[in-house]
Amino acid sequence: MNWVNFIWALSIWASLSLAALHFAVWLQQTKHLAYLLFSVFAVSVAAIALCEWNTMLARNPEQYGRMMWWVHFPMFSGAVSLVGFVSLYFNAGRPWLGYTACALRLLDLVMNFFAAPNLNYETITGLRHVTVFRGESISIAEGVVNPWIKVSELSWLFLLLFVADASITRWRRGDPNERRRAAFVGGAIIFFILMGVGYSGLIEAGLIRLPYLTSLAFLAIVVAMGYELSLDVVRAARLARQLRASEDASRESEARFRILADTTPVMVWMSGTDMLCTFFNKTWLEFTGRTIEQELGNGWFEGVHAQDLKRCLETYTSSFNARQSFTMEYRLRRADGEYRWILDTGVARHMPGGEFAGYIGSAIDITPHKQAEERFRLVIEAAPNAMVMVNAEGKIELINAEVESIFGYSRQELVGQSIEMLVPDHVRSEHPNHRGGYFTHPQARAMGAGRELFGRQKDGGEVPVEIGLSPLQTPAGLFVLASIVDITERRNTELELARQRNELAHLSRVTLLSELSVSIAHELNQPLTAILTNAQTVQLLLSKEGADRGELPEILCEIVDESKRAGEVIRRLRVLLKKGEINRAPLDMNEVVDSVLKLIRSDLVNQHIAADVQLTPDLPLVDGDEVQLQQVLLNLIVNACDAMAEVKAIERRLLVCTEVADGREVRVSISDQGRGISPEELERIFEPFFTTKKVGTGLGLAVCRTIISAHGGELRAVNNPQRGATFQFTLPATAQGTE
Amino acid sequence: MSSWAATVFVVDDDLSIRRSLTHLFGATGLNVAVFASAQEFLERYDPSASGCLVLDLAMPGLNGLELQEMLAARGSRLPIVFLTGHGDLPSGLKALKSGAADFLTKPVDATDLIEAVRAAIEKDRIARQVNAEVAEIRRRFATLTPREHEVLCHVISGKLNKQIAAHLGTVEKTVKVHRGRVMDKIKAGSLAELIRLAERAGIQPS
Repeated sequence: MNWVNFIWALSIWASLSLAALHFAVWLQQTKHLAYLLFSVFAVSVAAIALCEWNTMLARNPEQYGRMMWWVHFPMFSGAVSLVGFVSLYFNAGRPWLGYTACALRLLDLVMNFFAAPNLNYETITGLRHVTVFRGESISIAEGVVNPWIKVSELSWLFLLLFVADASITRWRRGDPNERRRAAFVGGAIIFFILMGVGYSGLIEAGLIRLPYLTSLAFLAIVVAMGYELSLDVVRAARLARQLRASEDASRESEARFRILADTTPVMVWMSGTDMLCTFFNKTWLEFTGRTIEQELGNGWFEGVHAQDLKRCLETYTSSFNARQSFTMEYRLRRADGEYRWILDTGVARHMPGGEFAGYIGSAIDITPHKQAEERFRLVIEAAPNAMVMVNAEGKIELINAEVESIFGYSRQELVGQSIEMLVPDHVRSEHPNHRGGYFTHPQARAMGAGRELFGRQKDGGEVPVEIGLSPLQTPAGLFVLASIVDITERRNTELELARQRNELAHLSRVTLLSELSVSIAHELNQPLTAILTNAQTVQLLLSKEGADRGELPEILCEIVDESKRAGEVIRRLRVLLKKGEINRAPLDMNEVVDSVLKLIRSDLVNQHIAADVQLTPDLPLVDGDEVQLQQVLLNLIVNACDAMAEVKAIERRLLVCTEVADGREVRVSISDQGRGISPEELERIFEPFFTTKKVGTGLGLAVCRTIISAHGGELRAVNNPQRGATFQFTLPATAQGTE
Repeated sequence: MSSWAATVFVVDDDLSIRRSLTHLFGATGLNVAVFASAQEFLERYDPSASGCLVLDLAMPGLNGLELQEMLAARGSRLPIVFLTGHGDLPSGLKALKSGAADFLTKPVDATDLIEAVRAAIEKDRIARQVNAEVAEIRRRFATLTPREHEVLCHVISGKLNKQIAAHLGTVEKTVKVHRGRVMDKIKAGSLAELIRLAERAGIQPS
């Protein structure tokens, strides 16, 4: 077997195969010129190899020289295609280096035409046959080397510089894959050019006597470049596969979207970057009863209610331009021609790369919700009271006409504003706290807990009001509905009533005291008697010579004390007879009972009535008018005494007791041992002008009940289990009393 | 009995009245004892003590009139001067009818009160003196034997010794002896005196 033939034929075959393969690839992707250039380079290498093979088999110098002449053509095409490949494949390299290399190569080719036998040799004097591979003979030229061959070598030098420059630039770009490629391809090219050209140079310099092997070095370059290009092909194929898979996925996702969009009960639409609608789902089309063609673009406007269209467009356009989400409500014509309220929500959509792609929106029919809202609004509007609905932030959501008339604000001025707008200045700062407290423990109740409440009107005036609060728990959160009643009228009436009540109470008091005049006279008489007696004793002692006057200071002291006692009786009387304003103050009911009993004591004695007084110590204070409460006690005690007029003296017992009831009330009971109250009387005793006494106005108990009611208490009468009756009244303890 | 030994008992539920009366009677030189209620007086009162009672008409518990009744029921002759807060005429009349010494209205003039109290004390003193004499006579009559008492009853009815003897079934001489003993025991100087003493002692002639 001839190894030379085998190796060179194999080289040519390999180069041509790679050339054909990459030419085929180029035909598929004509814009990738690198493949074409590679093919050209590979063909050039094949041609070079063919020429070399022929020189080795040359039988005479002429044959040898001709082959050497021909080799300059593939050298030119190889060099040019290599420069092109590197500059395309690496996308780097200083162009002038490449151009210079190509220009020198062209010069070499031109000069080769005028050289004989070729640019390598001036003359080939003969052929020398050397034996390689165990007896195979090959030809090697002997002659004079042409000095112009330096042009070829210079061209290779520039080519090397160009490739080295391109590789270094490529390396510097940093990507590990790029670095590998730069090192591998660039390194291979440089190494094998140096090897191939250097070897040729050595031959031509006559330093070694061996055949040309340039094509084998170039074949190595072809293999290296081919390997890299194949990797690219493999990578491209993988990318293509991925691309196909992602396209499949995208198609699948698109299909899923369509199914979802068409089966959801929600109406879905999409628009492009030009604001025109590009899609409506089946639900939408079924709702409007129109075709997709009718709805696309701006076609859907035709279904929107004329009154809503302008507002709708404004919202859509402004949100679209700002790329903001929007929510809008409008009426849309249903297939049956009825306009339904629609809640439409749109959001901007973006491509995976972040590029704005238009809007996607969903719409639902909220007509039932709207109707319920409207019904609620109508109920609120029809309420006889002023109604204000407030959200958790304290903003007014809804009011009715009555609010406008009480506060003087118009609806537009109030809705959306803070509720504190309607709170008087002096309590406004505390109000958010109260409001927060209410939202933490919402329950239907009256506001203000017994305090007088006022509302602030637009003109700054204050109006007395009563406010009831009810929490409204809705899916949209907690709201509070405040029902406000203007109580100006009622307060005036109450004031007038209170005035009349005082008048009546005073009259009743005067009557009561006139009934008690004997007892009161006695109360005055006692201290006066003591004073008179003591004063005359003093006179006696002073008039008598030698009398023991040691007791004088004591007697005088008693005179002073008794005078004070008489004065106190007068003061109490004057208080009771006074026709004054109600003066509420914290009172100890034990003291009130004590004071009344002092006034009436002698009356009890005269009537043989034993008073049993059971006062609970440390009674909570009550907020009350002392005079009026004394009057009630006096009245009830006098009644109790009168009730026992027919009873045997020994059995006349009056029980007065004070106690704490339910922890927050003071209860005062007055029990007698009389004949009790008949059922018929029991029903009527608190009526005005009803009396069971021979002498009496019939106003006493009626006035008592009025007084106790005005104090927030209750006056009741019950028959005792054994005998007699008990009158009992309760009074609310003051806040400080219970704390 | 002298007046200094007498005591003024004051019953009034009003402390200031009790105190002022204590001062007044003290300054007048009378003994004073005060009580806050009728019950207290009943518990502490010694019927033998002399003096008078100054009583408030209107008091819790037993009132003045009730105390007067109870004292009368117990046989007390203690004179009562009523003090009343108001001119309650019916009560005053009832009190006087039941033997009250006086009835005064508050505020009372000290002179009037002292006068009334002195008069009551004097009345009590006299009553007690009379009571003491009668007791002495009764004690003398109590020393008589039953036979002598029998003879006495006949004597004071004006019978002669002979009639008495016939009546008793004995001799005139025996009657004469009994009669002499009676006159000695009773310390009567004459028949007229005997008759007067028997009358004071409440002995009925037979």
